[in-house]
Amino acid sequence: MRLMMTKAFSIFGSSSRPRLGPLEQRLLQALWARGSATVRELLADDNIHQAYTTVMTTVDRLYKKGLLSRVEEGRAFRYTPRHTPEELQRVTALESIRQLLGSGDASALPLSYLVEALSAHDAQLLDALQLLVERKRQELHSRQAKILESAARQKTPPERR
Amino acid sequence: MFALRGIAVSLTFFVLVYCLLSALVALAWRSLKLLHTTERRLTDLFFALRVLPLAASIVVTLVFVVPSFQLLEPRSMNVEEGIGAMPLALGLCALLLIACGCWRVIAAQAQTSRVVAGWLEGAHRLQVDAAAWTQSHTVTFRSRREAPPLTLVGLRKPAVLVSESTIALLTPDELRVALKHELAHVRSRDNLKKLIFRLCPFPGMAKLEDAWSQAAELAADDASVSSLNDAVDLAAALVKLSRLIPVESAPVCTVGFVTGSISARVARLLAWNEDEAGRARQTRMRPWHAIPPVLVVLLCVTAAYGPVLALTHEMTEWLVR
Repeated sequence: MRLMMTKAFSIFGSSSRPRLGPLEQRLLQALWARGSATVRELLADDNIHQAYTTVMTTVDRLYKKGLLSRVEEGRAFRYTPRHTPEELQRVTALESIRQLLGSGDASALPLSYLVEALSAHDAQLLDALQLLVERKRQELHSRQAKILESAARQKTPPERR
Repeated sequence: MFALRGIAVSLTFFVLVYCLLSALVALAWRSLKLLHTTERRLTDLFFALRVLPLAASIVVTLVFVVPSFQLLEPRSMNVEEGIGAMPLALGLCALLLIACGCWRVIAAQAQTSRVVAGWLEGAHRLQVDAAAWTQSHTVTFRSRREAPPLTLVGLRKPAVLVSESTIALLTPDELRVALKHELAHVRSRDNLKKLIFRLCPFPGMAKLEDAWSQAAELAADDASVSSLNDAVDLAAALVKLSRLIPVESAPVCTVGFVTGSISARVARLLAWNEDEAGRARQTRMRPWHAIPPVLVVLLCVTAAYGPVLALTHEMTEWLVR
């Protein structure tokens, strides 16, 4: 998931949605895992070894970026992610594609890159399908060979000593 | 004026029934996906549903509206009755709809003929063993390298075009089963059905047509496969030909081999099961299966024809006023 997030936010870093830093990504991931949390609860997570004020500032930044919502709980805030990882990836991808298509004078150029990327994806899918077909064919051949072998054994009379 | 009024009223009924049924079909066709039935039957049901609005509106107009107007509308000698604003407007809409349908058919047929003529340039009869599997009335051509890999063309004299790349890429067994797949489309007259779809335009029907197309591919896969070996050969052919990127897009009245969801088709072929295929063949729908329901409908119509004509005429009167 971290890889997915890094990809989602680092490829098109100069977008209107700012790039997420490593701590921001870790905190967002911890919040997705927990559903919602206060800063103190996040600090209880083994992956986050930061000072209380650092974590507080970072989640506040995520809140200001519109990625978290918060409600008051005593003297602290309870933070909840506004999007699921899939939603966030989709929004980021759409935003990135929109920027890509809108960038530069030669609008056909980014489109050709997009087609190239999609073709590469298709080729991967076809490779996977071909592998499945080959496996099935091998399985079928070995099954047929076994049947022929057993038929041949039944026909041959047992050797007499 | 009497004849003009009759035509306007008939066209009005035609367009009203057509639009109402089309809207219902566009909303309700997805429920067919819930049926646990064979792909062949599903294809037939999708097709029936797609052409139902046109067929039903023609039948209602010719069987009920025209006779009710002829028999029950008084022909006044003294006072000349006008056509009425609503029948005039809706009649024009019906004429536009019919013209649009005809234009789409003619344009699709002309475009297909033009593109296929290009594909057939320099093509010659296929001289491989696989050609023996084709029916005597279906010609199999070996076409240029840039033509689509494997395509069925033609309505009256169907022909299967096999590109040079396809012949180079597929093994004889794979080519044989791929040709059998295309012949299944010939038997189902899928090219003609595609052309009929063009005749009945209505917004929101594209998804139903896509679902029909996908089901038709799966049904052709089922019809062409008779053993697990065939299924694996067809899956291999599908994956190999998917790698060939067509230079030109295929016109409407052709059926390409690489159509629909390739991964779904391959997965289905690799999971081929002899028992299930046998059951599917047994439950296949035959044309004579439609005779009992048609007879029942005919009996009902005959029994209630008089009252229905009277009711239709009342509706006609309401429309004219």
